[in-house]
Order: sequence, then structure tokens, then C-alpha cells
Amino acid sequence: MERRELLKLITVVTGGALIGGELFLTGCKNDPKIGGEAFTDEDIAFLDEASETIMPATTTPGAKAAKTGLFMTVMVNDCYTKEDQKIFHSGISKLNDAMEKKHKVSFMEASPEQRKELFNELDKEAREYATKKSEFDRGESAKANEAKANGQKYEKKTMDPHYFTMVKQLSILGFFTSKTGATETLRHVAVPGKFDGNFPYKKGDKAWFEQ
Amino acid sequence: MADDNYFDAIVIGSGISGGWAAKELTEKGLSVIMLERGRDIEHVKDYVNANKETWEFPHRGGRTQQMIEDYPVLKRDYPLNETVLDMWAKDKESPYTETKPFSWFRGYQVGGRSLTWGRQSYRLNEADFEANLKDGHGVDWPIRYKDLASWYSYVEKFAGIQGNRDGLSVLPDGEYLPAIDMNVVEKDVAARIKAHYKGERHFIMGRSANITQPKPEQNRLNCQYRNRCWRGCPYGAYFSTQSATLPAAKATKRLTVRPFSIVTKILYDKNTKKATGVEILDAQTNKTVEYKSKIVFVNASAFNSTWVLMNSATDIWPDGLGSSSGELGHNVMDHHFRLGANGRAEGYDDKYMYGRRPSGIYVPRFRNWGSDTRDYVRGFGYQGSASRTGWSRDIAEVGIGADLKNAMSEPGDWNMGIMAFGEMLPYHENRIKLNKDKKDKWGLPVLDMDVEIKDNEKKMRVDMMADAKEMLEAAGLKDVHTYDSGYEPGMGIHEMGTARMGRDPKTSVLNGNNQVWDALNVFVTDGAAMTSASCVNPSLTYMAMTARAADFAVSELKKGNL
Repeated sequence: MERRELLKLITVVTGGALIGGELFLTGCKNDPKIGGEAFTDEDIAFLDEASETIMPATTTPGAKAAKTGLFMTVMVNDCYTKEDQKIFHSGISKLNDAMEKKHKVSFMEASPEQRKELFNELDKEAREYATKKSEFDRGESAKANEAKANGQKYEKKTMDPHYFTMVKQLSILGFFTSKTGATETLRHVAVPGKFDGNFPYKKGDKAWFEQ
Repeated sequence: MADDNYFDAIVIGSGISGGWAAKELTEKGLSVIMLERGRDIEHVKDYVNANKETWEFPHRGGRTQQMIEDYPVLKRDYPLNETVLDMWAKDKESPYTETKPFSWFRGYQVGGRSLTWGRQSYRLNEADFEANLKDGHGVDWPIRYKDLASWYSYVEKFAGIQGNRDGLSVLPDGEYLPAIDMNVVEKDVAARIKAHYKGERHFIMGRSANITQPKPEQNRLNCQYRNRCWRGCPYGAYFSTQSATLPAAKATKRLTVRPFSIVTKILYDKNTKKATGVEILDAQTNKTVEYKSKIVFVNASAFNSTWVLMNSATDIWPDGLGSSSGELGHNVMDHHFRLGANGRAEGYDDKYMYGRRPSGIYVPRFRNWGSDTRDYVRGFGYQGSASRTGWSRDIAEVGIGADLKNAMSEPGDWNMGIMAFGEMLPYHENRIKLNKDKKDKWGLPVLDMDVEIKDNEKKMRVDMMADAKEMLEAAGLKDVHTYDSGYEPGMGIHEMGTARMGRDPKTSVLNGNNQVWDALNVFVTDGAAMTSASCVNPSLTYMAMTARAADFAVSELKKGNL
């Protein structure tokens, strides 16, 4: 076992950054996928644009070039619970509705600036929601622990995740674990061959991909 | 009985201890058959994911709902993921029952869990072997540190352990290859802990079975710092059956390896009071085959070794070979863990790392050591590391877009995390037993687990967390927070006990040479034999114990005593 890796995952989770950690470490609600709603080509194109808004091309390629839309559909189909799949699918319409409401255009017709503006608002909303959710989940865990200590059983309730958190997490995960993300936006050496624990760093140097 | 079913020795299992048994026995001139219940995995060729990059996995190394459904046990912790799925037993084909929750992570293949182990390699210390006698828990070990010391040296030299000779009685030094370096933050933390605790606590480089100098005689190259050990190392840089003991045993031309061989029982002759061989079930053909031998080494991993004993000689002892003591299946131990602390290191913005180390740091036990006494017995150690956070960190102040991407493309803060691993006492009530009401797909009875941690462990866990915080704060780390991710027995993947060694056949299953008291030509030298658990990772001790027992077995054979 790679306990140190486990330790790192836990660091990520307890540090409040749930990107991937949730999927990789817990991901289990005893609810195997029983075939969810299918994604269309339009959905994939939509998710490419959504992820590109979150991780755009800069001096290096962005999420669209990394085929992040397709990756997101694979992850939702294979790794999400049925409930989470529903939230994700309805999230696509919610994103469109929010764009219509704000800028009177569909998401696909909206300009990069309009998309960015909307997503920054949704990001704030999702963050505030996540804070409430984690407080709620902590409370439920405390109730469950108390019940357990008294020899009783307590069925924990949970708050659904926010659809934008899902979109953001999968965009970041998909982008940085893609070949371009890992090797062009980040640095990756497949076979380092040596270890240096006192390696120089100056502001602007890229981070290692690490995985 | 055809001659090709006769061998001088049978080795049941091919993991860390089985590999050592096969190596030692063949090198001492015996013909050996190694029986493995799972499939073969050929060194390098069958490490199918060893050279894959993350983006080559459909789920980028994650876990799917299908995997979660198929692996109801493995899903309980980090081992379930896309990169090493083929190195774990299929949970659905390998059922067991849980009177109390027990996570049993198994590797049913040639090489067993030697392919996926954590490689941390520590010696038990002198006090570990005297602990039961002194505080009255369990029974006294029939051996002492001095009985095993030369065997530790012997196996360390062959396996290849990187580490420093730190000169600590709590963690005896061994034969080491040059140590992998600590990083710049860890070095400073080590110095501050030494100063703050006036040499009473130590923060050292972890000692691990990763080679830092090539071993051409074993066809092994040194570590390439990829940190992908558990996918199987194409360089043979970490110790596994495949990289080290199996090639040595095969080189003697006296080894036969038989995969898909589930040993169902040891054949016992009540007149000679010895085993005559084993019966296996071929997992592919469902046929029963008998193999005969002079001696049997049981190295099936702790619980499966005991399962074999429980199913053997039941016409004489209904509860199986070794049950006359009343201790077979009892005194289950693991290491309890999954709690500790993390903190942020300030002032190292111009420092980074190159390469991915396969081992972190280690803090040896300091509680109930020297003049320290607590409201519990025994102790714990910490494993950990410092590193800079990367793209997966949370960056709350930047929403989305180019600013977020640019921020994530640079490393974040340095963090230091440590996790405690504590000793679990050998409680008679903590036991495994055969559940004859439930059968696996071969119609074999499954194990039932009835194991829990008790007051001593719970009290220890309070210190395990609080001391982690105190030490990181003493070392100058900021924003130190503790965590407890919850522990359930088995998660340590250090199953121990169930066929303990002892001095008296009335209270132990094995004697001081790992012989079953009731069948002296049967040796159990894996985790099952452990009389107490210590708090250090146990595999190195299984290696040393196995080499020692093999040496004893061959000398007894030569004397005509077996």
C-alpha cells in the first residue's frame, strides 16, 4: 500500500478541496449505476464549452483541446451515482436557463465574456452552498456518531451537491489529468531517475503533475 | 501416487513469506512446490499498468460505480482504483462474514500482496518481544530480539532496504542501502523536533524496500523515483516475490510453481503425528489433487493460513490442526491508524522537489518508552511527508477562467502531514472462525470475523492525534489541524495472530521455531505466527522469521528429526 499517497488524498479532502478526492476516495453510496440518461453530441459540445470557460486556452491549450466534455460524460456515466447523474443532467438545463435569464441568449450562443460572467456568479453561489452543505453533513455525522455511541442506528441525511461544483470539479480534473494539461500547463517527467528534495523554484515555474 | 506429486517441501502461498520459504528451502537443496490459489503474474510482462500515464486510464485512475458494486470490501478504502485493480482478489468470489466490521484486502495471485505492499521495513525492538510478558497481555514470545537479529540482517541484505542507521534502541538499525533524502522542509522539521524534545523524539527517513543501488546479481535496477510501485516495478526496484525471491528459487531448478491451487487441507497422519502433504482444489478444473512432502510451510497470509489449519485433521481435532491449544483463530491483531495531523510550512517558496519518492519519513514510538508512561500500554509511530500542493488544491480567491488555470499551474504551499500507526493488543476474544453456513463458489466454508479495538487502543488514539498536532506545532508548522478518518479492523492490511507462537502448547499454536505443536513438520511463518503486533510494519519480521524457520527445518531434516 502507498500510505503516503493515502495521506495526501486525506490532506486534500480535509483541506476542503474536493476536486477528485470525493470521487477517488469515498465515491460510494451503495447505489450502483443502473443505466442513466444518455449524453448527446450536443451535450458533449456544451460541456466542452463549459469546461473551456473554466479552464480556457491561454498560452497553453485549454479544456476543449483536452476533450474534457467527452471525459466528463464518461465520468458521470461510470463514476457518479444515479442521483448525482440526475443532478448533473439537470445542471445542463439549469446552466442554459441561467444564461437565458442573465444575457437573453443560449449558453452556446453566448460570448466567452458572458459565459465567464455567469460562471463567476455560479461559482460564488456553489461555494456558499458547499459551505452550508459541509456544515449540514458534519451535523449529520455528529448525530450518527452520537447514535452509534448510544448503541443506536441513525440514517444520515445528505444535501445534494451543487451542479456547478460537479461541472467545475470535472472540468479541472479532466483538464489537468489530460496529456496536454499534465505536460503543457503543468510539468511531467515520466521517469525522473533521481530525487532532489531541495530543488530550486522561482515564481512562474510550473507545478509538477505528480500522479 | 506418482513421483511428480512428491516434493521435499510444500510451500502454501507465494507472497512475502511464501517467496522467502521457497527461496531458502530450494537454496538449501530441497525440491519445493509452491502452491498459489490465484493466477500467475510474470515479472515485468504482466505489470500491465506499470508504464501507463494517468490520461491513458478511462477514468484517470479513479473508481467507477461498477467497481464499487463488484468490490464491496476493497471500496472501503483507497486500494480500490483503476490503476491496480488486477492486483486484488475479486471480493465477490471471495466472500466472508462479519460479526463485527472487518475489512479484508487480499491479493490472490503469484506474488500475493508483495506486489502492492507499502514496503516500509522495520525491525521489532527488544522490548517488543518482552511486552506481553511485562504487561501481561497475550502470552510471552518464545523468542527474543537476539534470536532474530542475524536473520533480520540476512533478509535485509538480500531484499535491499534503503534507510539510515539512526542509532535508536526503539528502532534497531539494520543493513541498509544509502537512504533516500528528506526534502528541505522535512530536514528542518526533523531538526526542530530534535531540539524541542531534547532528543526524546525522532523524525527520521522512512526505511523501505526500495533499492538505491542496483543489484545486478538479482537483475534489479535502482529506484527511478516514479512512485508507481504498486503497479509492479519494471525495474525490479522494490522487493517483491517476483523481483527477488522467486528468481532466486527458480535459479536452483528445484522449484515448481503451481498457480490456481487452493489448498483445502493439510494431510495429517495421526500415527506419526506429522503432516504427509496437502490436498488442493484446482481452481480452474475443480479437480482435487494431493501432493506429498516431508515438510509443509504455511504462508497463505495470516487468516488463510489459519483457515487451512482449521480445515485440517478435523477427524482428530474438530476445530482443526493446532486447535488443541484453544487459541487457533484467536488473538487477531492489525495496526490501527487513519488519524493524525497536517500543517503548513512557511518560508520555502523558493524550494521544490524533483522526482517522486517511494517512501516518506518515520517517527518511531516515543510513548511508554524510556521514562514516559501513559494510561494505556504499548505505543505508536507516525509515517508522513512534506510536499507542495498542486493543481488539486482549493483556490477560493480565484473563481474560474485563465486566472484559475494560471494559479493552478503553479505549486501552492508546502504542507507536512503525519499519520499514526498504533499497536493493537492480542485479545483472545478477537477471533476468526469458520462459518460453515456460508460457502464460496468452490463450496468451501468461509471465515467469519469477530474483531474490535478496545479501551487500550481507544485511549492510545487520543494521544495519536493530539501528539501529532503538538509535534507539528513544535516544529513550527502553521494552521495545524487534526483528522480522524475512522478505523475499522483490517484496514491496516497487517492481519496478525490467529496461530500465535508461544512457549506452551496449551496456550499457543506454534513453538519458538514456528512449528505447529501438534505436527512438528508443519511451519507457519506469516502474520499468523505473531504473538504481539508491535507498532511497526510487520513484513520484514515475516521475512526474518521465515528464513530462520527454513534454516531450522532443513537442519532438523538432516538430523532425521522431522
